[in-house]
Formats: sequence, structure tokens, C-alpha cells
Amino acid sequence: MIVTENLQKYYGSTCALEGLTLHIREGEIFGLLGPNGAGKTTTIKILTTLTYPSGGRASIGGLDVVRDRPRLKPLIAVCPQDINLDRELTAFENLWFYGRLYRVPDLKRRINELLEWGQLAERAREPVKKLSGGLMRRLLILRALLSRPRVLFLDEPTVGLDPQIRRQLWDMIRHLQAQGITVLLTTHYIEEAESLCHRVAILNRGRLMALDAPKTLISRVGGYVVETVDGYQRRYRLVKDRGEAYDRAREEPDGVLIRQANLEDVFIQLTGERLSP
Amino acid sequence: MNVLTIFLKDMLLFQRRLLRLGYVISTLFAPLLYLGAFGLGLGRRVQLGGTSYLDFLLPGLIAMSSMTNSYNWVASSLNMGRLYYRTFQIYLQAPVAPWEIVAGQALAGVVRGLMAALVLLLLGLLLGGTFNLHPLFWLGLLLNGLVFATFGVVVGLKSKSHEDTATFTNFFILPMAFFGGTFFPVEEMPRLVQHLIFLLPLYHANRLLRTPYLNPEAWLSLVLLTAAAALCVAVSIRHIRRYSE
Repeated sequence: MIVTENLQKYYGSTCALEGLTLHIREGEIFGLLGPNGAGKTTTIKILTTLTYPSGGRASIGGLDVVRDRPRLKPLIAVCPQDINLDRELTAFENLWFYGRLYRVPDLKRRINELLEWGQLAERAREPVKKLSGGLMRRLLILRALLSRPRVLFLDEPTVGLDPQIRRQLWDMIRHLQAQGITVLLTTHYIEEAESLCHRVAILNRGRLMALDAPKTLISRVGGYVVETVDGYQRRYRLVKDRGEAYDRAREEPDGVLIRQANLEDVFIQLTGERLSP
Repeated sequence: MNVLTIFLKDMLLFQRRLLRLGYVISTLFAPLLYLGAFGLGLGRRVQLGGTSYLDFLLPGLIAMSSMTNSYNWVASSLNMGRLYYRTFQIYLQAPVAPWEIVAGQALAGVVRGLMAALVLLLLGLLLGGTFNLHPLFWLGLLLNGLVFATFGVVVGLKSKSHEDTATFTNFFILPMAFFGGTFFPVEEMPRLVQHLIFLLPLYHANRLLRTPYLNPEAWLSLVLLTAAAALCVAVSIRHIRRYSE
């Protein structure tokens, strides 16, 4: 569904994206995982026609993101990282102006249907600035769904939200995937990538470090971690299975923590850096 | 239809964000200040080619207000929408053609310019000023608004911060207001300066607003102002098409 080939983006001499190649399947929830400055947002901006690539190619459903813009735009929708709602307008008005730009048929009914589904119907006539951050995020996703896109881009959809609201949004995203929408999301939350995404591409400094299903990536570095504290320094050791973890733990004189490995461990293994500071 | 959508949203935002009594007063404050200081100060004592200074000044202030209002709204709403609220990106990512974005934004700017002009016109009539309210007057006002609204689109797209917009205002809009024939006839200026002034769109808007009938001078101004508007429209569409973050 989404194909990028050797996609590059330079800002002056700074390289934001260094030859990214991805093949994202139809109906998949695909995650771009990486720290700030990894190139996640740049990738989304190129795919959603906000930025021209410096090199390489990208297409969505066979339509080139540079040459076929007019035909491509109706098929995609994006929830940007910044909540770009008109805060002086109501939720309904935000959806209405957006829906008109996408020529959504039977717009009023569609808006009410979505507001109902997103449990925002009661707040629909209030200015958006009175809504909480979580509700604004939800409205942002509803707005993107208005035009019934085939591909949905979510740039850090749950950043800065409470864990419980984050889970609500995850349910919402899973629901969309069940309807056949292809979802490309960026995140720097490992839990989000692990529990939501079918496949994850790990990016660092504009380069693709690894790409696979979260479980596969984790099992590739070893399934378990033995953590020891040495003064102020934490040491991690990746091991194959639980048995090996116990053996290692016995060798340690002080307290140890045995846990399952996660994508953060994969990231550390690949880059030598931590994902979240 | 997209043009209308963009225009309507802009006007609604304008109404919700700004349209309060304090705003209306502050918009009119500058022209009223000039009117008070120059108009009433020099008033009817000074005669300019057979007309009173007040009658000379009023059309100039109207043209100036239509310029600043058209320009300011578009430049700052686009700039804020692009850099701060990031709502302008909605238009860029939606299936909307670049010319439709420009048309919708410019229309909102022109309407705002006209609104300010109308308020001043009413005030002028109340003060006993006389105007030549022929079609050229209105056409000049419209074209003037279009020139500066689309110039506002370019500034809104090019400036890297809100402060940047102020720089453009200081270098282009302010000199335009003072040298474009708003406050005094430019025919008294040195010849070289006059040539430069001839390049200012506001100068030609002023000539159209002041001309009693369609004389050759007015024709020339009409053609030049139309050309300036066409140029600004073309440049702003080009900037939207090439937009890349």
C-alpha cells in the first residue's frame, strides 16, 4: 500500500532521512519507532504531501506522492503531532469545514455519526479550546476519518496523554484497522509500538535500523533481560530464555531483575543509545 | 466551493477571534489619528488644486486602511495558522488546488479591507467630506485590497516567525502609506522620487479613488494596478505550489 524507495530528505547539509525503503501492506498497522530526530515526522510529511523529498521515491496505492498529488490526497488523512484544530470553532464546525474540503457526501449526518461513535456528541457545540487534551486528540482522529481514507497517518497520536486515555485511543485505532484502513503511526513509546503495531520499523538519525514484527525483533536480540545495579550504573544483559536468565542471576552477588525483553532493548542493542532519555 | 469554504472559515475565525469593540476601535485608531492630526489640523484652511485638504486626505486614508487591513489579516492569520496553530497545513494536505487557497484567503482579506474602508467612508461623509463615488473608486478599492491581500499571502508563507511579518510591514507597507500619496500630492516631490513612487500600487489606488472621471491618468493607474494584482496573485499561487516544510 505504501512504498518508499531510498527516500531522502536534506535540510541544507543536515540529513533528516537517509535512504528509507519501506513496503507497508494494505490493512496493516505499521509503526515508525525512534527517538526525536529519527526522521519519523519527516517521513510522514513527505507521504502526506507537506514536504518534497530530496531524493528517492514514495507512493501510496500506486500513486506517486509528488507527481500524483491531486489524485492521492483524497485517499489519505493525517493526524499531525500538533493538535491543529481551530480552537475558537466548535468540534462540529471543525469537522464541517474539513469535510467540505474533502467533498464528504451527506456531511452533516456523517459528522453526527462520527461524533456519536467517538463519544463527543455532547461536547460538539462547545469551542474546541474548552476540551481536554485527550478529547482534542480524539476529535483529531475523528476529523481524519471523516473522508473515509484508505490510509491513515498518525504522528505521535498519544503523546502527552494519560495511560488510560492512551488505551482508549489504541482501541480506536485497532477498530479502524479492523475496518480495513491501513495505519502508519509514529511513536517513541515502546508499549504503543509493541501492543498496537503488526510491524515496526526502528529509525535512528534518519536511518532504518530494523524492520519486523515486534515479537520477532525482540526474540532476535534474546527474549529476556537480566538487569543488575552496580553503584549508579544499571547493566543490562540480553539472554536467550528464562533458564539462561536464572543461571546469570545466580552468578550475580547483588540484587537482580529478570524481565522480558522489549523494543527498547532492541533499540539499545542496535544503536547503543537509549530510546527515551 | 473550496474557495467559499476557506473564505467562510476565515471570516468565522475573524469574527470569533477579533471582532470585538476593542478591536474595531483599534483598527480605526490609526486612520482616525491621522485624520485628527492632519485633516482637522490643516483642515479647510489648506487648499490643494481647488479642493480642501480634508477632501484630499479622506480618499487617501480609505485606500491606506484597505491596504493595511487586507494585508494584516491575511499575513498574520496565515503566518500564525502555518507556524503556530498549524491549521494552514490542513489546506495544503487536503485536495485543494493552490489557486483555491489563494482565492479563499485573498477574498477574506479583501472583504476586511472593504469593511474598514466603508467605516471610514461613512465617517468621512459625516465629517462633511465629498467623494467621487464612481465605479472607478470601488474598482480601485477592490484591486488595492487584492494586491495587498495576496502580498499578505506571500509574506505569511515566507516569514519564519511572527516578528518577521513585522519586518515586511516596516519595509513595504509603512513606506507605501507615507509615500504613496496618502497625505500629500506627490507632484511636489523630486523627480527621481516621483519615479519610484510611480511603482507603488497604493499610489495608483489613490489616483483611482481621487479621479473625478476616467481620464488617461486614471486609465493608466487602472491598468498598472490590475497588473500589480495579477502579479501578486501569480506569485502567491506559485509560493503555495512550491511549499515544502
